[in-house]
Amino acid sequence: MQDARLRLLSVLLLSVASFISVAGAALTVLWLLLYPGYLVAALRSRALYLLLSVLGLVALVMTYSGGDGISYLARMGVLLLLGFTIVRGWSPGEFLDLSVWLFGGKTGFDLGLAIEMTMQGFDEASREWSRVKTALQLKDMQPGFRSIPAIGFLLIHTRLLRARDQSDLLITRGYHEGGSCCPVFRRSKKDIIASFCTILILCIALFPFRDIFILVM
Amino acid sequence: MGCAAVKLILEQVRETRGDWQFSADATFLPGIHLVTGRVGSGKSTLAEIAAGMLSPGSGRVLREGISSGTLSLQYPEYHVTGATLAKEAASYGVSPEEALENAGLSGRGEDDPFILSRGELKRFHLSCLSLRRWDLLVLDEPFSALDCRGKKRECERIPALSPGIVLVCTHEQQHLPRTDFLWEMRDGNLHALGKVPDALPFWQTAPKTVRTLVSQGCVPANLTDRDLEEALCRMRD
Repeated sequence: MQDARLRLLSVLLLSVASFISVAGAALTVLWLLLYPGYLVAALRSRALYLLLSVLGLVALVMTYSGGDGISYLARMGVLLLLGFTIVRGWSPGEFLDLSVWLFGGKTGFDLGLAIEMTMQGFDEASREWSRVKTALQLKDMQPGFRSIPAIGFLLIHTRLLRARDQSDLLITRGYHEGGSCCPVFRRSKKDIIASFCTILILCIALFPFRDIFILVM
Repeated sequence: MGCAAVKLILEQVRETRGDWQFSADATFLPGIHLVTGRVGSGKSTLAEIAAGMLSPGSGRVLREGISSGTLSLQYPEYHVTGATLAKEAASYGVSPEEALENAGLSGRGEDDPFILSRGELKRFHLSCLSLRRWDLLVLDEPFSALDCRGKKRECERIPALSPGIVLVCTHEQQHLPRTDFLWEMRDGNLHALGKVPDALPFWQTAPKTVRTLVSQGCVPANLTDRDLEEALCRMRD
Protein backbone atom coordinates (compact mmCIF):
# COMPACT_ATOMS: atom_id res chain seq x y z
CA MET A 1 0.00 0.00 0.00
CA GLN A 2 1.64 3.20 -1.20
CA ASP A 3 -0.44 5.91 0.50
CA ALA A 4 0.62 6.20 4.15
CA ARG A 5 -2.70 7.83 5.09
CA LEU A 6 -4.72 4.90 3.73
CA ARG A 7 -2.30 2.51 5.37
CA LEU A 8 -2.79 4.16 8.75
CA LEU A 9 -6.56 4.14 8.34
CA SER A 10 -6.50 0.48 7.31
CA VAL A 11 -4.34 -0.49 10.30
CA LEU A 12 -6.66 1.33 12.71
CA LEU A 13 -9.82 -0.24 11.29
CA LEU A 14 -8.34 -3.73 11.01
CA SER A 15 -6.91 -3.53 14.53
CA VAL A 16 -10.34 -2.70 15.93
CA ALA A 17 -11.96 -5.44 13.80
CA SER A 18 -9.39 -8.04 14.95
CA PHE A 19 -9.64 -6.97 18.56
CA ILE A 20 -13.43 -7.15 18.86
CA SER A 21 -14.19 -10.43 17.07
CA VAL A 22 -12.69 -13.64 15.76
CA ALA A 23 -14.56 -13.08 12.47
CA GLY A 24 -12.81 -9.69 12.18
CA ALA A 25 -9.47 -11.36 12.87
CA ALA A 26 -10.13 -14.04 10.23
CA LEU A 27 -11.08 -11.43 7.64
CA THR A 28 -7.99 -9.40 8.53
CA VAL A 29 -5.84 -12.42 7.68
CA LEU A 30 -7.60 -12.65 4.33
CA TRP A 31 -7.01 -8.91 3.80
CA LEU A 32 -3.30 -9.38 4.49
CA LEU A 33 -3.16 -11.83 1.58
CA LEU A 34 -3.61 -8.79 -0.69
CA TYR A 35 0.02 -7.94 0.15
CA PRO A 36 1.73 -11.35 0.06
CA GLY A 37 5.27 -9.97 -0.13
CA TYR A 38 4.99 -8.13 3.18
CA LEU A 39 3.08 -11.02 4.76
CA VAL A 40 5.77 -13.55 3.84
CA ALA A 41 8.47 -11.19 5.17
CA ALA A 42 6.52 -10.83 8.43
CA LEU A 43 6.14 -14.59 8.75
CA ARG A 44 9.90 -14.96 8.46
CA SER A 45 10.46 -12.77 11.52
CA ARG A 46 11.69 -14.63 14.60
CA ALA A 47 10.42 -11.82 16.83
CA LEU A 48 6.87 -12.54 15.66
CA TYR A 49 7.06 -16.14 16.85
CA LEU A 50 8.66 -15.09 20.11
CA LEU A 51 5.79 -12.71 20.83
CA LEU A 52 3.26 -15.29 19.66
CA SER A 53 4.65 -17.80 22.12
CA VAL A 54 4.23 -15.25 24.94
CA LEU A 55 0.64 -14.72 23.78
CA GLY A 56 0.19 -18.49 23.76
CA LEU A 57 1.24 -18.67 27.41
CA VAL A 58 -1.20 -15.91 28.36
CA ALA A 59 -3.96 -17.69 26.41
CA LEU A 60 -3.17 -20.93 28.23
CA VAL A 61 -3.46 -19.24 31.61
CA MET A 62 -6.74 -17.65 30.49
CA THR A 63 -8.17 -20.99 29.38
CA TYR A 64 -7.25 -22.63 32.69
CA SER A 65 -8.82 -19.79 34.63
CA GLY A 66 -12.11 -20.12 32.75
CA GLY A 67 -11.64 -17.48 30.05
CA ASP A 68 -11.72 -17.85 26.26
CA GLY A 69 -8.01 -18.27 25.68
CA ILE A 70 -8.36 -19.53 22.10
CA SER A 71 -10.33 -16.47 21.00
CA TYR A 72 -7.81 -14.22 22.74
CA LEU A 73 -4.87 -15.97 21.05
CA ALA A 74 -6.53 -15.77 17.62
CA ARG A 75 -7.42 -12.06 17.93
CA MET A 76 -4.16 -10.91 19.49
CA GLY A 77 -2.09 -13.12 17.18
CA VAL A 78 -3.69 -11.52 14.13
CA LEU A 79 -3.11 -8.08 15.64
CA LEU A 80 0.58 -8.92 15.96
CA LEU A 81 0.72 -10.29 12.44
CA LEU A 82 -0.99 -7.15 11.15
CA GLY A 83 1.57 -4.94 12.87
CA PHE A 84 4.53 -7.00 11.63
CA THR A 85 3.13 -7.01 8.06
CA ILE A 86 2.18 -3.36 7.82
CA VAL A 87 5.45 -2.10 9.28
CA ARG A 88 7.25 -3.74 6.35
CA GLY A 89 5.42 -1.43 3.96
CA TRP A 90 6.78 1.74 5.57
CA SER A 91 9.64 3.56 3.89
CA PRO A 92 11.89 6.30 5.40
CA GLY A 93 10.22 9.72 5.47
CA GLU A 94 6.63 8.45 5.46
CA PHE A 95 6.06 9.04 9.17
CA LEU A 96 7.25 12.62 8.77
CA ASP A 97 4.92 13.14 5.78
CA LEU A 98 2.01 11.61 7.62
CA SER A 99 2.62 13.50 10.83
CA VAL A 100 2.97 16.87 9.06
CA TRP A 101 -0.20 16.14 7.08
CA LEU A 102 -2.06 15.32 10.31
CA PHE A 103 -0.71 17.90 12.76
CA GLY A 104 0.97 20.61 10.69
CA GLY A 105 4.50 21.95 10.31
CA LYS A 106 5.22 22.57 14.00
CA THR A 107 3.90 19.79 16.25
CA GLY A 108 3.55 17.44 13.28
CA PHE A 109 7.11 18.01 12.14
CA ASP A 110 8.56 17.43 15.63
CA LEU A 111 6.43 14.34 16.16
CA GLY A 112 7.25 12.97 12.69
CA LEU A 113 10.96 13.60 13.21
CA ALA A 114 10.88 11.79 16.56
CA ILE A 115 9.08 8.80 15.02
CA GLU A 116 11.46 8.72 12.05
CA MET A 117 14.48 8.75 14.37
CA THR A 118 12.96 6.01 16.51
CA MET A 119 12.28 3.82 13.47
CA GLN A 120 15.81 4.49 12.22
CA GLY A 121 17.04 3.49 15.68
CA PHE A 122 15.18 0.15 15.44
CA ASP A 123 16.76 -0.50 12.03
CA GLU A 124 20.21 0.36 13.30
CA ALA A 125 19.79 -1.73 16.44
CA SER A 126 18.87 -4.68 14.24
CA ARG A 127 21.97 -4.12 12.08
CA GLU A 128 24.13 -3.69 15.19
CA TRP A 129 22.81 -6.96 16.56
CA SER A 130 23.84 -8.79 13.40
CA ARG A 131 27.28 -7.12 13.59
CA VAL A 132 27.66 -8.27 17.19
CA LYS A 133 26.73 -11.80 16.10
CA THR A 134 29.38 -11.61 13.35
CA ALA A 135 31.97 -10.34 15.84
CA LEU A 136 31.14 -13.17 18.26
CA GLN A 137 31.33 -15.69 15.44
CA LEU A 138 34.75 -14.36 14.41
CA LYS A 139 35.94 -14.75 17.99
CA ASP A 140 34.47 -18.28 18.26
CA MET A 141 32.09 -17.06 20.95
CA GLN A 142 28.44 -18.04 21.31
CA PRO A 143 25.79 -15.53 22.38
CA GLY A 144 24.50 -16.93 25.67
CA PHE A 145 23.03 -15.78 28.97
CA ARG A 146 26.44 -14.67 30.22
CA SER A 147 27.01 -12.43 27.23
CA ILE A 148 23.60 -10.73 27.47
CA PRO A 149 24.73 -7.92 29.86
CA ALA A 150 27.83 -7.11 27.78
CA ILE A 151 25.94 -7.18 24.46
CA GLY A 152 23.02 -5.21 25.92
CA PHE A 153 25.44 -2.63 27.28
CA LEU A 154 27.13 -2.36 23.87
CA LEU A 155 23.85 -1.94 22.01
CA ILE A 156 22.60 0.73 24.43
CA HIS A 157 25.95 2.46 24.42
CA THR A 158 26.14 2.65 20.62
CA ARG A 159 22.53 3.90 20.49
CA LEU A 160 23.34 6.65 23.00
CA LEU A 161 26.43 7.66 21.03
CA ARG A 162 24.38 7.76 17.84
CA ALA A 163 21.66 9.80 19.55
CA ARG A 164 24.28 12.30 20.74
CA ASP A 165 25.67 12.62 17.21
CA GLN A 166 22.19 13.10 15.80
CA SER A 167 21.31 15.80 18.32
CA ASP A 168 24.60 17.58 17.62
CA LEU A 169 23.83 17.41 13.91
CA LEU A 170 20.34 18.85 14.41
CA ILE A 171 21.74 21.73 16.49
CA THR A 172 24.50 22.37 13.93
CA ARG A 173 21.85 22.60 11.23
CA GLY A 174 19.95 25.16 13.29
CA TYR A 175 17.02 22.99 14.34
CA HIS A 176 14.98 24.45 17.18
CA GLU A 177 11.40 23.35 16.66
CA GLY A 178 9.12 22.62 13.72
CA GLY A 179 10.19 22.70 10.12
CA SER A 180 8.99 22.74 6.55
CA CYS A 181 7.98 19.57 4.80
CA CYS A 182 5.66 19.13 1.84
CA PRO A 183 4.08 15.69 2.23
CA VAL A 184 3.64 13.76 -1.00
CA PHE A 185 1.42 10.68 -1.14
CA ARG A 186 1.04 8.22 -3.99
CA ARG A 187 -2.10 6.18 -4.37
CA SER A 188 -3.15 3.25 -6.53
CA LYS A 189 -6.58 1.77 -7.29
CA LYS A 190 -5.58 -1.32 -5.33
CA ASP A 191 -4.94 0.85 -2.25
CA ILE A 192 -8.39 2.42 -2.45
CA ILE A 193 -10.12 -0.94 -2.90
CA ALA A 194 -8.09 -2.46 -0.04
CA SER A 195 -8.98 0.47 2.23
CA PHE A 196 -12.64 0.13 1.35
CA CYS A 197 -12.41 -3.56 2.25
CA THR A 198 -11.15 -2.62 5.73
CA ILE A 199 -14.35 -0.62 6.32
CA LEU A 200 -16.40 -3.66 5.29
CA ILE A 201 -14.34 -5.90 7.56
CA LEU A 202 -14.93 -3.58 10.50
CA CYS A 203 -18.69 -3.49 9.76
CA ILE A 204 -18.81 -7.29 9.64
CA ALA A 205 -16.82 -7.48 12.89
CA LEU A 206 -19.19 -5.05 14.58
CA PHE A 207 -22.35 -6.67 13.25
CA PRO A 208 -23.84 -9.06 15.83
CA PHE A 209 -24.45 -12.05 13.48
CA ARG A 210 -24.74 -14.47 16.38
CA ASP A 211 -27.62 -12.46 17.88
CA ILE A 212 -29.50 -12.64 14.56
CA PHE A 213 -29.07 -16.42 14.39
CA ILE A 214 -30.26 -16.72 17.98
CA LEU A 215 -33.33 -14.61 17.12
CA VAL A 216 -34.03 -16.68 13.96
CA MET A 217 -33.81 -19.92 15.91
CA MET B 1 49.88 -29.51 9.65
CA GLY B 2 52.45 -27.06 8.30
CA CYS B 3 51.44 -23.86 6.60
CA ALA B 4 52.85 -25.06 3.28
CA ALA B 5 49.88 -27.43 3.07
CA VAL B 6 47.38 -24.65 3.63
CA LYS B 7 45.25 -23.76 0.64
CA LEU B 8 42.09 -21.71 0.03
CA ILE B 9 40.24 -22.57 -3.15
CA LEU B 10 37.33 -20.61 -4.58
CA GLU B 11 35.78 -22.88 -7.18
CA GLN B 12 33.51 -21.00 -9.60
CA VAL B 13 32.14 -18.89 -6.79
CA ARG B 14 29.26 -16.61 -7.80
CA GLU B 15 27.19 -14.17 -5.78
CA THR B 16 24.44 -11.90 -7.05
CA ARG B 17 23.05 -8.76 -5.43
CA GLY B 18 20.40 -7.20 -7.62
CA ASP B 19 22.08 -6.32 -10.93
CA TRP B 20 25.55 -6.64 -9.47
CA GLN B 21 27.42 -9.92 -9.84
CA PHE B 22 30.50 -11.25 -8.12
CA SER B 23 32.60 -14.08 -9.51
CA ALA B 24 35.84 -15.67 -8.41
CA ASP B 25 37.75 -18.73 -9.46
CA ALA B 26 41.01 -18.77 -7.56
CA THR B 27 43.49 -20.64 -5.42
CA PHE B 28 45.26 -18.86 -2.59
CA LEU B 29 48.54 -20.36 -1.35
CA PRO B 30 50.49 -19.31 1.74
CA GLY B 31 51.84 -15.78 1.39
CA ILE B 32 50.59 -12.24 1.22
CA HIS B 33 47.89 -11.70 -1.38
CA LEU B 34 47.10 -8.10 -2.21
CA VAL B 35 43.56 -7.77 -3.58
CA THR B 36 43.05 -4.34 -5.08
CA GLY B 37 40.23 -2.70 -6.98
CA ARG B 38 37.98 0.30 -7.05
CA VAL B 39 35.43 1.06 -4.34
CA GLY B 40 32.42 -1.20 -4.86
CA SER B 41 34.31 -3.65 -7.07
CA GLY B 42 33.68 -6.59 -4.69
CA LYS B 43 36.71 -6.69 -2.38
CA SER B 44 34.63 -6.88 0.80
CA THR B 45 32.40 -9.58 -0.71
CA LEU B 46 35.52 -11.59 -1.53
CA ALA B 47 36.81 -11.04 2.01
CA GLU B 48 33.55 -12.26 3.56
CA ILE B 49 33.36 -15.32 1.30
CA ALA B 50 37.03 -16.18 1.86
CA ALA B 51 36.61 -15.94 5.62
CA GLY B 52 33.45 -18.08 5.56
CA MET B 53 31.21 -15.28 6.79
CA LEU B 54 29.15 -15.30 3.60
CA SER B 55 27.97 -18.36 1.71
CA PRO B 56 28.14 -17.71 -2.02
CA GLY B 57 25.08 -18.15 -4.22
CA SER B 58 26.88 -20.86 -6.16
CA GLY B 59 30.29 -22.52 -6.33
CA ARG B 60 32.46 -24.03 -3.63
CA VAL B 61 34.92 -22.67 -1.09
CA LEU B 62 37.48 -25.25 -0.03
CA ARG B 63 39.72 -24.64 2.97
CA GLU B 64 42.48 -27.22 2.83
CA GLY B 65 44.45 -27.53 6.05
CA ILE B 66 43.02 -24.31 7.47
CA SER B 67 42.26 -24.82 11.13
CA SER B 68 42.24 -21.19 12.24
CA GLY B 69 41.07 -18.19 10.31
CA THR B 70 39.54 -14.81 10.85
CA LEU B 71 38.32 -11.69 9.13
CA SER B 72 39.21 -8.15 10.07
CA LEU B 73 36.27 -5.96 9.11
CA GLN B 74 36.77 -2.48 7.71
CA TYR B 75 35.21 -0.73 10.71
CA PRO B 76 36.93 -1.74 13.97
CA GLU B 77 33.89 -0.93 16.13
CA TYR B 78 32.06 -3.85 14.50
CA HIS B 79 34.42 -6.18 16.36
CA VAL B 80 33.80 -4.79 19.82
CA THR B 81 32.14 -7.22 22.21
CA GLY B 82 33.80 -6.23 25.49
CA ALA B 83 32.96 -3.34 27.79
CA THR B 84 36.62 -2.48 28.45
CA LEU B 85 39.80 -2.69 26.37
CA ALA B 86 41.13 -5.44 28.64
CA LYS B 87 37.94 -7.52 28.20
CA GLU B 88 38.03 -6.79 24.49
CA ALA B 89 41.61 -8.11 24.22
CA ALA B 90 40.63 -11.16 26.28
CA SER B 91 37.75 -11.85 23.85
CA TYR B 92 40.40 -12.41 21.15
CA GLY B 93 42.19 -14.82 23.46
CA VAL B 94 45.27 -12.61 23.78
CA SER B 95 47.07 -10.94 26.67
CA PRO B 96 45.49 -7.51 27.33
CA GLU B 97 48.81 -5.98 28.43
CA GLU B 98 50.59 -7.07 25.27
CA ALA B 99 47.74 -5.99 22.98
CA LEU B 100 47.54 -2.59 24.65
CA GLU B 101 51.30 -2.10 24.54
CA ASN B 102 51.51 -2.99 20.83
CA ALA B 103 48.76 -0.50 20.10
CA GLY B 104 50.43 2.27 22.12
CA LEU B 105 47.62 2.19 24.70
CA SER B 106 49.46 0.87 27.76
CA GLY B 107 47.63 1.37 31.05
CA ARG B 108 44.25 1.95 29.42
CA GLY B 109 42.83 -1.52 29.98
CA GLU B 110 39.82 -0.23 31.91
CA ASP B 111 38.87 2.31 29.23
CA ASP B 112 35.68 1.93 27.23
CA PRO B 113 36.59 0.87 23.66
CA PHE B 114 34.17 3.46 22.30
CA ILE B 115 36.02 6.42 23.76
CA LEU B 116 38.95 5.63 21.45
CA SER B 117 39.09 7.28 18.06
CA ARG B 118 38.39 4.95 15.15
CA GLY B 119 42.11 5.02 14.28
CA GLU B 120 43.12 4.02 17.81
CA LEU B 121 40.49 1.28 17.87
CA LYS B 122 41.71 -0.02 14.51
CA ARG B 123 45.28 -0.09 15.83
CA PHE B 124 44.12 -1.95 18.92
CA HIS B 125 42.07 -4.45 16.90
CA LEU B 126 45.00 -5.19 14.55
CA SER B 127 47.25 -5.51 17.57
CA CYS B 128 44.92 -8.16 19.05
CA LEU B 129 44.90 -10.08 15.76
CA SER B 130 48.67 -9.91 15.49
CA LEU B 131 49.10 -11.77 18.79
CA ARG B 132 47.54 -14.95 17.46
CA ARG B 133 48.65 -17.27 14.72
CA TRP B 134 46.21 -17.75 11.87
CA ASP B 135 46.25 -20.16 8.96
CA LEU B 136 44.02 -17.74 7.10
CA LEU B 137 43.87 -14.06 7.87
CA VAL B 138 41.60 -11.85 5.79
CA LEU B 139 42.08 -8.13 6.23
CA ASP B 140 39.38 -5.95 4.72
CA GLU B 141 40.71 -2.40 4.32
CA PRO B 142 43.30 -2.75 7.10
CA PHE B 143 44.58 0.79 6.51
CA SER B 144 41.25 2.60 6.80
CA ALA B 145 41.09 5.17 9.62
CA LEU B 146 44.87 5.02 10.09
CA ASP B 147 47.20 7.97 9.58
CA CYS B 148 50.36 7.71 7.44
CA ARG B 149 52.43 6.55 10.40
CA GLY B 150 49.86 3.92 11.29
CA LYS B 151 49.66 2.70 7.69
CA LYS B 152 53.46 2.38 7.49
CA ARG B 153 53.53 0.45 10.76
CA GLU B 154 50.81 -1.93 9.62
CA CYS B 155 52.58 -2.46 6.28
CA GLU B 156 55.66 -3.52 8.22
CA ARG B 157 53.63 -5.71 10.57
CA ILE B 158 51.52 -7.57 7.95
CA PRO B 159 54.35 -9.87 6.69
CA ALA B 160 54.88 -11.04 10.28
CA LEU B 161 51.19 -11.58 11.03
CA SER B 162 50.81 -15.09 9.75
CA PRO B 163 52.88 -17.79 8.11
CA GLY B 164 49.70 -18.92 6.33
CA ILE B 165 47.48 -17.15 3.83
CA VAL B 166 47.03 -13.42 4.30
CA LEU B 167 44.50 -11.66 2.10
CA VAL B 168 44.84 -7.88 2.14
CA CYS B 169 41.79 -6.37 0.44
CA THR B 170 42.35 -2.65 -0.01
CA HIS B 171 42.05 0.35 -2.28
CA GLU B 172 44.99 1.99 -0.53
CA GLN B 173 47.31 3.63 -3.05
CA GLN B 174 50.06 5.16 -0.95
CA HIS B 175 51.40 2.62 1.53
CA LEU B 176 51.37 -1.09 0.68
CA PRO B 177 52.91 -4.15 2.35
CA ARG B 178 55.43 -6.53 0.86
CA THR B 179 53.28 -8.61 -1.44
CA ASP B 180 53.71 -12.10 -2.85
CA PHE B 181 50.65 -12.35 -5.12
CA LEU B 182 48.67 -9.60 -6.78
CA TRP B 183 44.93 -9.80 -7.52
CA GLU B 184 42.52 -7.26 -8.90
CA MET B 185 38.75 -6.99 -8.60
CA ARG B 186 37.28 -5.61 -11.82
CA ASP B 187 33.52 -4.98 -11.79
CA GLY B 188 32.87 -7.91 -9.49
CA ASN B 189 35.30 -10.33 -11.18
CA LEU B 190 38.46 -11.47 -9.46
CA HIS B 191 41.53 -11.45 -11.73
CA ALA B 192 44.79 -13.16 -10.83
CA LEU B 193 47.65 -10.93 -11.97
CA GLY B 194 50.41 -13.22 -10.73
CA LYS B 195 53.47 -12.92 -8.55
CA VAL B 196 55.02 -9.56 -7.71
CA PRO B 197 56.92 -7.99 -9.47
CA ASP B 198 55.98 -9.86 -12.69
CA ALA B 199 52.32 -8.94 -12.18
CA LEU B 200 52.87 -5.17 -11.94
CA PRO B 201 52.55 -4.34 -15.68
CA PHE B 202 49.06 -5.92 -15.73
CA TRP B 203 47.77 -3.95 -12.73
CA GLN B 204 45.01 -1.63 -14.00
CA THR B 205 44.39 0.24 -10.74
CA ALA B 206 48.06 0.51 -9.81
CA PRO B 207 49.17 3.58 -7.83
CA LYS B 208 50.50 6.38 -10.02
CA THR B 209 54.09 5.86 -8.82
CA VAL B 210 54.00 2.18 -9.77
CA ARG B 211 52.48 2.98 -13.18
CA THR B 212 55.16 5.59 -13.86
CA LEU B 213 57.95 3.28 -12.78
CA VAL B 214 56.65 0.39 -14.90
CA SER B 215 56.17 2.62 -17.94
CA GLN B 216 59.78 3.84 -17.56
CA GLY B 217 61.04 0.26 -17.39
CA CYS B 218 62.07 0.52 -13.74
CA VAL B 219 59.86 -2.21 -12.28
CA PRO B 220 60.12 -2.15 -8.47
CA ALA B 221 61.07 -5.39 -6.72
CA ASN B 222 57.96 -5.11 -4.56
CA LEU B 223 55.43 -2.57 -3.31
CA THR B 224 56.88 -1.35 -0.03
CA ASP B 225 57.95 2.28 0.30
CA ARG B 226 61.58 1.16 0.26
CA ASP B 227 61.11 -0.84 -2.96
CA LEU B 228 59.47 2.12 -4.68
CA GLU B 229 62.19 4.52 -3.50
CA GLU B 230 64.85 2.14 -4.77
CA ALA B 231 63.14 1.92 -8.19
CA LEU B 232 62.77 5.71 -8.33
CA CYS B 233 66.50 6.06 -7.66
CA ARG B 234 67.20 3.64 -10.50
CA MET B 235 64.97 5.69 -12.81
CA ARG B 236 66.83 8.91 -11.94
CA ASP B 237 70.18 7.22 -12.58
